[in-house]
Amino acid sequence: MAGQQDAPSHPHTATRPVGGALRRVADGPAGEWIGTVVRLALAVVWGWAGLAKISDPAEAAQAVRAYEILPESLVKPVGYALPFLEVALAVLLLIGLGVRVVAVVSALLLLTFIAGITSAWVRGISIDCGCFGGGGTVDASQTEYLQEILRDTGFLLLAAWLVYRPRTRLSADAWLAA
Amino acid sequence: MSEKNRDGKRTARERMQEERAAQEAKARRNKKLIVGGSVLAVIAVAAVVGVMVQNNRSKPETPVAAPAGTIGDKNLVIPVGSANAPSTLTVYEDPRCPACGAFEREFGPTIDQLEDQGKLFVNYHIVSFIDRAVPGKGSRYGANALGCAQDAGHFRDYHDVLYRNQPDETNDAFGNKATLIALAKPIPGLDTPAFQACVNDNAFSGWVSAVQQDFDKSNFKSTPTVLLNGGPVYPKMGTEEITPANLVKWVDAANQGKPLGTPGTNGQSPAPTSTASETNNPSPGTGG
Repeated sequence: MAGQQDAPSHPHTATRPVGGALRRVADGPAGEWIGTVVRLALAVVWGWAGLAKISDPAEAAQAVRAYEILPESLVKPVGYALPFLEVALAVLLLIGLGVRVVAVVSALLLLTFIAGITSAWVRGISIDCGCFGGGGTVDASQTEYLQEILRDTGFLLLAAWLVYRPRTRLSADAWLAA
Repeated sequence: MSEKNRDGKRTARERMQEERAAQEAKARRNKKLIVGGSVLAVIAVAAVVGVMVQNNRSKPETPVAAPAGTIGDKNLVIPVGSANAPSTLTVYEDPRCPACGAFEREFGPTIDQLEDQGKLFVNYHIVSFIDRAVPGKGSRYGANALGCAQDAGHFRDYHDVLYRNQPDETNDAFGNKATLIALAKPIPGLDTPAFQACVNDNAFSGWVSAVQQDFDKSNFKSTPTVLLNGGPVYPKMGTEEITPANLVKWVDAANQGKPLGTPGTNGQSPAPTSTASETNNPSPGTGG
């Protein structure tokens, strides 16, 4: 939270040659609105991902199994827990509670997903990432690893913004701090 | 003296301010710790609840009700033809899989013939994973309807009709139970209230799920997967491409010198020597 303490006063920004304007925007009231948009966008991503997977436990487990990373004993717990975890992150982001903590967890989860997809790609396994439901083996011509990694990297940037600037408008955090 | 006094006063005030600031900082830190801790707790609880809820909701891998005449240790396999035929063809198919439809339309008549000649015992694993990739319920409802047809002793005819009327993969026609029931009309004896109820109630959904989970855990990744006596023959056996003529040739070669099986009634199961169980199937179908 140290990043916030000098936020209101920035007498030296003028001397910063690069990123000064961006920093001023990020630190100012506009930044808090940008943060709100980022927060809600990430909430939509997690909510969508979680709800798409929640209806069919066997499918969610198979999506995990298809990566051929986890032992069979962990496939179901992970497949079963993930959608609920994602929905929990979505709800917390929606209300804006503990945004920095949620953003850190989000970022770690996204890094795990990116690593998993990369690993499948490198090993030549043909799967759908199962990110938004579905998942499992697909024809080799139907893999979309690059798109999936780029998409998750985009989400990672959203999470990173919130780690950097967790203070947002219309959030439980702001209400608690007041 | 007075200077010193003022100094003293200032430092006291400063000290008080510092103290208050420190207390406020501590309170803020505490608040953050509480919020952060609660958030992590919420996330952890969500994960644990998720595992419990989904465990409860997921269909067991050993089905409570399997169609009559199914075989295998969990009754996941539908047998067609005579069980004592010298060769066994194992087929993994999804009702929505276009390649399965193409396979059935090209090879169905040949396979039926080999069954009727007592040359081939065919084991069907009706999987339903296309629904995961393409929205809809056609794989699961279609697989359930096939289970219902098996239960009624008309699997082979219904299976052939189903694949001859297969819609495009993206068209979820089999997700409509009325379509599945309508397809049973041309088959004498199948379109009964029992069959309709079985399709409409999705009676074998647990079995369908168990068959799929069995496939999930297998090393097979796609459909159709076709094995002759355990070895892959689709799309090729060794370097030879599968064709109806080649399939007959391969079966005859494998059967050489072995007695043929007893041809069943139009290949319909429950097959006479089916090990169909005992535990799960109190009443074998009466239609066969």
